[in-house]
Amino acid sequence: MRLIRKTLLAVLLTFVIIQFIRPARNRSGQASAADFTKVYQVPVDVQSVLQKACYDCHSNNTRYPWYTNIQPMGWMMARHIKKGKEQLNFNEFGSYTGRRRISKLKGIANQIRDGDMPLWSYKIMHKQGRLSDSQKKLVIEWINKTADSLLAD
Amino acid sequence: MKVTILSIALAAFSLGACNNSQTSTAKTDQHPDSSAVTTEGTSVRDITDVYLQLKNALAEDNGNDAAGAAKKMVEAIGKINQSAFTSDQKKLYADIEPDLKENAEHISENSDKLEHQREHFVMLSNDVADLIKGFGTGGQILYKDFCPMANDNKGAIWISEVKEIKNPYMGKSSPTCGSMKEELK
Repeated sequence: MRLIRKTLLAVLLTFVIIQFIRPARNRSGQASAADFTKVYQVPVDVQSVLQKACYDCHSNNTRYPWYTNIQPMGWMMARHIKKGKEQLNFNEFGSYTGRRRISKLKGIANQIRDGDMPLWSYKIMHKQGRLSDSQKKLVIEWINKTADSLLAD
Repeated sequence: MKVTILSIALAAFSLGACNNSQTSTAKTDQHPDSSAVTTEGTSVRDITDVYLQLKNALAEDNGNDAAGAAKKMVEAIGKINQSAFTSDQKKLYADIEPDLKENAEHISENSDKLEHQREHFVMLSNDVADLIKGFGTGGQILYKDFCPMANDNKGAIWISEVKEIKNPYMGKSSPTCGSMKEELK
């Protein structure tokens, strides 16, 4: 009995302590000169989908849901964002080389088409991440068109 | 009570450590063991050589070998020796390298997804073709082939060391689809 009490107390205390270990927030608040919208003429409806469904992990500004204030959820989110930004950062798209931009565009379209992105874990928690077929089609067609025109140059 | 505090500290510490371990392994991956090769580094010819291995693996529908070759390509890129490059070649290489590396990384990480590997192989082949344009074939005869059915029927090229068509995009389902466009020397 004492062992159970001790263990429970330990778990509880650990939970309390880890609440003080907070990852830095992904919020630059600054408009980047290399932003996706500065590199391409992005239609408003396409940009709106990207912003809602992709930017939380693929830009320098995340809209944090309330539960990320609780650890370890905040840590998990921070890791997702770090990995997401390494792969693709819409705010820094202009810093990629020309051919890398084309690869990125194709990658975005393919991942959306295959349903690999947004991540299922993100979609569970974020309604905006669940794209309708028409939203997917809208984004994929514009991106493919843009990538193909860049390839032809 | 002392035990409790100690266990809490340990738990918090190990959780934090878990968080970091991933990033540190990722970093070491990018800098492969330098003791494995000589100090001379690799050449563009080394990159095209592993490209041909990758191409042949895809033509055989072998995602594992393709991933292995792609991994070798990432390593070759990491150890490239640019001392003999002209300034134009340096510029060209700087433009190509990030894309080449990223596509090779994706192919190396998706051994179970042949179609995904082939999607990245489209851009990777463009990169390698441009590399050869700037650096030459390193003394061998290569062929630039084209398949109109690849890349969602938009067509795609690849580089081959043999004259006969062995299509890396279609694999065994349509191995001879495509045609030779150019002989590279």
